[in-house]
Amino acid sequence: MKKIYIVLLSCLALGSCDDLSELNVNPNLPSEASGTQLIANAELSLPSLSASPTGEFLAQYLAETQYVTASLYPAGGTSFYWLYQGPLMNLQTVLINAENLDGNEGPVANQLAVAKILQAYYMWHITDRWGDVPYTEALQGADNFTPAYDTQEYIYNNLFTLLDEANEQIVSGNISNDIIYGGDMAKWKKLGNTIHLLMALRLSEVDPVKGQEEFNKALAAGIMTSNDDNLVFHHLANANNQSYWYSQWVTQNREWWALTETLVGEMKPVADPRLEVYGQPARKTGEYIGLNFGETVNMNTEDYSLLGTAIYAQDAPVYLVTYAQALFAQAEAAKRGWITGGDAEAEAYYNEAVKQSVMQWTGSNEGAEELLSQPGIAYNPANAIEQIATQRWIHLFMHGYEAWAEWRRTGYPDNLVTPGGKAVPRRQMYDALEASLNAANYNAALQRQFNGEDGLYGRVWWDQ
Amino acid sequence: MRKLFTLLAMMLAICSINYAHAQSKVVSGRVTSSEDNAALPGVSIAVQGTSVGTTTDIDGNYRITLPSEANTLIFSFIGYTNQVVQVNSRSQINVSMVIDSKQLDEVVVTALGIERSERSLGYATQEVSGDNLTFTKEQNVVGSLAGKVAGVQVVGSSGASMGGTQKIKIRGVNSVAGGGEPLIVVDGTPISNANFSGSTGIDLGNLSQDINPEDVESVNVLKGPAASALYGIRGQFGVIMITTKKGRRGAEKVSVQLNSAFSVERVGNIMPYQNMYGGGSSQTWRTLPNGDKYVQMNVDESWGPLMDGTPVRQVFSFYPQDPTYGQLTPFVPHPDNIKDYYETGSTLNNGVSISGGSDRTNYRISLNDTRIQGVEPNTWLKRNNLGVSLGVDLAKKLTASANINYARNTAQRPAQGSEDGSRYLGQWFQRSLDMNRLKNYQYADGTFLHWNLRTPSSTTGEVTNFKPLYWNNPYFEAYENPSNDNRDRFFGDVGLTYQVLPELKLSGFVRSDMFTQNVESRTAFGGTNVPGYSVAKYQNKEFNYEFLAQYSKEWGNFSLNANLGANLYDRNYTYISQATAGGLSVPGYYNLAASIDRPTSGRELYPSYELNKQIRSGYGMVSLGYKDTYFVDASFRRDHSSTLADPYWYPSVSGSFVFSELLPVSPLSYGKLRVSYAEAGSDVDVYATSVNYGIGGIYDGVNTITVPDNLANPLIRPAFARSYEAGIDLKFFQDRFGVDFTYYQQRNKDEVFKLAVSGASGYESTVINAGLIENKGIELTLTGTPVQSQLFTWNAVFNLNRNRSKIIELAPDIDALLLGSTTYSSTSSYLYSYVGEKFGSLVGQAYQRDEETGKMLLDANGLPLYTTATHNFGSVLPDYTGGFQNTFRIWKIDAAAMIDFQVGGKFFSRSKMLAVRTGLDPITVATNDKGHNVRDAVSEGGGVRVDGIYGPDVTINGENVGGQEVTLYVDPQTYYGTTARRIYEDWLYDASYVKLREVRLGYTLDKSILGNLPVQGVNIALIARNPAMIWQKAPKGLDPSELSTGSQSISWYESGQLSTVRSYGVNLNITF
Repeated sequence: MKKIYIVLLSCLALGSCDDLSELNVNPNLPSEASGTQLIANAELSLPSLSASPTGEFLAQYLAETQYVTASLYPAGGTSFYWLYQGPLMNLQTVLINAENLDGNEGPVANQLAVAKILQAYYMWHITDRWGDVPYTEALQGADNFTPAYDTQEYIYNNLFTLLDEANEQIVSGNISNDIIYGGDMAKWKKLGNTIHLLMALRLSEVDPVKGQEEFNKALAAGIMTSNDDNLVFHHLANANNQSYWYSQWVTQNREWWALTETLVGEMKPVADPRLEVYGQPARKTGEYIGLNFGETVNMNTEDYSLLGTAIYAQDAPVYLVTYAQALFAQAEAAKRGWITGGDAEAEAYYNEAVKQSVMQWTGSNEGAEELLSQPGIAYNPANAIEQIATQRWIHLFMHGYEAWAEWRRTGYPDNLVTPGGKAVPRRQMYDALEASLNAANYNAALQRQFNGEDGLYGRVWWDQ
Repeated sequence: MRKLFTLLAMMLAICSINYAHAQSKVVSGRVTSSEDNAALPGVSIAVQGTSVGTTTDIDGNYRITLPSEANTLIFSFIGYTNQVVQVNSRSQINVSMVIDSKQLDEVVVTALGIERSERSLGYATQEVSGDNLTFTKEQNVVGSLAGKVAGVQVVGSSGASMGGTQKIKIRGVNSVAGGGEPLIVVDGTPISNANFSGSTGIDLGNLSQDINPEDVESVNVLKGPAASALYGIRGQFGVIMITTKKGRRGAEKVSVQLNSAFSVERVGNIMPYQNMYGGGSSQTWRTLPNGDKYVQMNVDESWGPLMDGTPVRQVFSFYPQDPTYGQLTPFVPHPDNIKDYYETGSTLNNGVSISGGSDRTNYRISLNDTRIQGVEPNTWLKRNNLGVSLGVDLAKKLTASANINYARNTAQRPAQGSEDGSRYLGQWFQRSLDMNRLKNYQYADGTFLHWNLRTPSSTTGEVTNFKPLYWNNPYFEAYENPSNDNRDRFFGDVGLTYQVLPELKLSGFVRSDMFTQNVESRTAFGGTNVPGYSVAKYQNKEFNYEFLAQYSKEWGNFSLNANLGANLYDRNYTYISQATAGGLSVPGYYNLAASIDRPTSGRELYPSYELNKQIRSGYGMVSLGYKDTYFVDASFRRDHSSTLADPYWYPSVSGSFVFSELLPVSPLSYGKLRVSYAEAGSDVDVYATSVNYGIGGIYDGVNTITVPDNLANPLIRPAFARSYEAGIDLKFFQDRFGVDFTYYQQRNKDEVFKLAVSGASGYESTVINAGLIENKGIELTLTGTPVQSQLFTWNAVFNLNRNRSKIIELAPDIDALLLGSTTYSSTSSYLYSYVGEKFGSLVGQAYQRDEETGKMLLDANGLPLYTTATHNFGSVLPDYTGGFQNTFRIWKIDAAAMIDFQVGGKFFSRSKMLAVRTGLDPITVATNDKGHNVRDAVSEGGGVRVDGIYGPDVTINGENVGGQEVTLYVDPQTYYGTTARRIYEDWLYDASYVKLREVRLGYTLDKSILGNLPVQGVNIALIARNPAMIWQKAPKGLDPSELSTGSQSISWYESGQLSTVRSYGVNLNITF
């Protein structure tokens, strides 16, 4: 009988010396990723920097035709998490794994340079919208789940350096899996420097000396020279890569956006050729008629110019950083005396900027000369800054966040509407999740910038 | 199906052979209780020296056939002294049983199916008999436990979901992250209670519904870790042990039972709606070019003109195919337009079971067929169950047994949650729409009729594009866009038991749970959505190889019970999920081949998925008893799970003291004290420790890869729960009244949970070992038979549980844990847990209030200002849950009623919020204090009265009015446009309720009436499920007892909940 008990006891040993770790390897996900695949994923997020009704409302390009709510500037947080978790973390992973990058996908230095340029671009976008945000301590995963906020000034200075590094390390040789420029490093180099240039101009009010210095550094390093250099995200004519506006307008039948009266009022009187791309004539009258921004009752989609068909095409391009922007920036720099040439150069850059913008939006120069000859549009040294800013605003159509930043910096156009008495916000509020998941740093940042209050009307560092 | 019947017929043939050779002397009689001469049903009668036996029927009568050489009958019944009777030449023997206060050795099935005497248990278990689960034919075993077990909380879903989720929790929330469900074990086989539903869409329900309720002999709930300690890593959240009915050895004859029920279902508890103002965005009429007024079909709200019969062009008049094309019809309310959508549903249930045995075999076979027609149009469910249980003595000491259960579900279910399916009707709709006109949703030429169309042309007055804008005709949704699912499932076991020595028994089992779940959904041409097809197939194979040695022996005053076992768990689970993208190539061709663009992974995260897992376990238990009065138990289990690097040990100890043994005879017939301590572990998710990249989008041939949002942690250990429990069980007056009371405390430490972190870290969440959640509570069960006589018996059971789940700590520097969020119109609300607070706080935007007066702060337009989404509204968990069940027997009439209740807890209702925002709710046509309808122009005395204080620095006409008290009247559309969109405070409700869940009234026809019919007994009953909500704190139209949102572990918000269904029917039981 003893034997039975011995057998019984030995069954306890069952399973004690096994190695089951082989079973714990996840077969459902890859355990390796190449640098350019991660970069490509970060590139896929680019259109989301522009594709948002909120941005269009902040710049007052579009007014709501139904369910009017977001255009009334309601208080409430907006999350920046997706930008960190998504593109920025992918790029960070490339940057901290430099030694493991595969040279077969293009020179490692170039992979790193592209990652830096994109990271700088995303960070710039973030800080302009929210103000102080996590930067130095961000993207460290388990090493820091509660990253402190850096000041916007600090972030700008670091991004300038990051862009310098990228500019300097680019060598010849394309990289693979690049869905933006097909791996063309010359274009990446120009993009990085153009971003640098536009960032420098943002300092015009808060630190013009630094702004001028960085502006000229970027200029010397080589910026965009044609619309072919534009940072454009080309959506594809398939459901998996279609534009945001297509999914709203066509897939979900949302005829929810009309051009604002503010925009139509600037463009229609001067027969701006871009208007036909931006919007459709009103169905009732066949005329271009803007909808008053913030109107809440009795709108009829028949009565107003709805969003243009090319804008909501399935494969519509999304313009992010453009040659015309660089030209407007140079026009303004010349006028400000940051670069030489004064009004003559400013006028030349201004005229070229408008032409390139018309070219970008309509595909031809037609109507550009006529537009530039219109009174009020033709360059006038007396109100050149306003003219440049207003034309830039028209050019930046559908890239609301950028246009809104430029409005905050320049104050133009100066006829934006205050819906229900609410002024145009000066920043976006932090998301409520930060208040609980990163409370101490969130509170410190609010204290430092806005006396502790998270609101839409606190001003970011450069907006003084 | 045909194969099943063939199989069944064969089995019957085999069994009837045994039946044929039973012979000789027949004895019959009646068994009563010596105390009151009442009939004793269920008394066991065995023929000594044989395995022949029977039991008394409901009137105490029995009839037994003795083998020719036998002469002794043994009558036994729980709580009574055994009676041994010599038959001799008698054919009629009446027996009077004497109560034995000492013989209360009720046998309880404990973990791993080990049978123990109740008195030896040092922990709480609670048993519910199968009859108490099926008396109104509830189809989901988990759902039928609602209110019947102290400490068990069931959160159900509407009957309209047909087989929808019934969620069960034992003793509150025992994990920091809110997850954790009890293990469900059927005849020793752990079975999956998984849920393939999301929080919206079709609710496929929890998989334990595949158990045929008619097969359930009893359900025993092992509540705490001590009770479930032998299940180790799988039993931390308690165990629901289900024992199925078996055939009886030596049954004299084949017993056949027929059980049929038919019930009709009607929707009850529909939200109230206003019937004054119809569809539209303003009270001003829109006109066509010819001057005709028309209803704004592009507006899915009811802020339109007064429904005063004005002749207008309604949506139907824009369809050239419609008889009313071009015509004006009166603009009138349709008060029942939502109610009209629902149909009368029905449930038909037919079951048959055949059981019996011989001296060496026993068998039971059951078949069940359930057909449900839903209250939502074109929804149905069919379920078939087949159960076979067999036992065969292969040799003198060797028994083989098998339990095989097969279930098949085929269904076409309604979508629920959010705005899916017809759920938008109570959220975005026009009060002026005639539902009966929408019913014929297709014109003869194939054009679909919808109501939510574009604005008519401002030049022609016609609508030319009939593609609906945001919502389909609900009938189009029901008939053209159905979702179908089916599941085939086998579970059961085969085993061998060898009685090596009288005191030693060895057994081995192979147990399995296998299923294939298919889900598909269709989106037709002609609706608002891109046509598409989605299909998913899930396959699960779980095997448990189990070995158990059971030893029990008594020496004088001492008794020993020892068990030793081992288990190998092996699970393989796969799925394939695909959906078309960009549309279908051909209308009506629902196949992935029709996908215009590259298909996506559909309803799942991955297009294909595989999971493999093993747990290797060894365990043992020793119980020592002294004088049948003192008992001490100790158990341990060692689990090595493939999800974790190392194996872990889980010990428990418990003791009981039957103090009534030491007392003189008193009203107290039984008294036991029990205490226990256990450490239980919980496993971690498969691959939780595996670090991987994620799959990104594919752009023109470039496959992108991403860093996942969740940071995996390779250093995860299992969490440990330490639980203490003490209780007392008392029975009085020969057990007619009983009290079970338990106090428990459980501390779950080092929990494994997904910690939401600041996204600025690069991750959304990580998995960590941290935290401490404490549950304290009491359970009270009162049982009683206040009346017991031959003509009238009344039994009552009352259960109550009070539980407090509190977060003691989370992780260093972390004091808030995000558990869930829901966002609508860019406004989010959250479920959080905070250190030092009760588990599960609802968090969202609240009114900004003046600190001193509590009055709300207003902006310049009189609209309330609100906080950021950080206001803590308190815990969603109830304070008390319980139930009260009464059963009566009066002569031949039996009646039963089940009430369950919940006190406390909160939920957020998006349905209510949207009904207010879109002008459907009666509050939007209320009369204000000036006696005007709030919808009247503010200048004419209308508007919602708002009392408040202007917020700081609010300026009106350049004047700073901040801090000034003010009373304003605000246009309701604007006012509720803010409060019913941005302020969650108003849409939170107390979840307390008292519900009449089940009622039965039956009548038994016995032999005296049935006469010579070959029938033993017939019972016919009226049954009602869910007949009434007796009381609830939340407003009408919301059902706090049916908040289950698919597979979400905590129910904290309601959004497009399916309507409550009330069911009334007839149940017929026939025993042959």
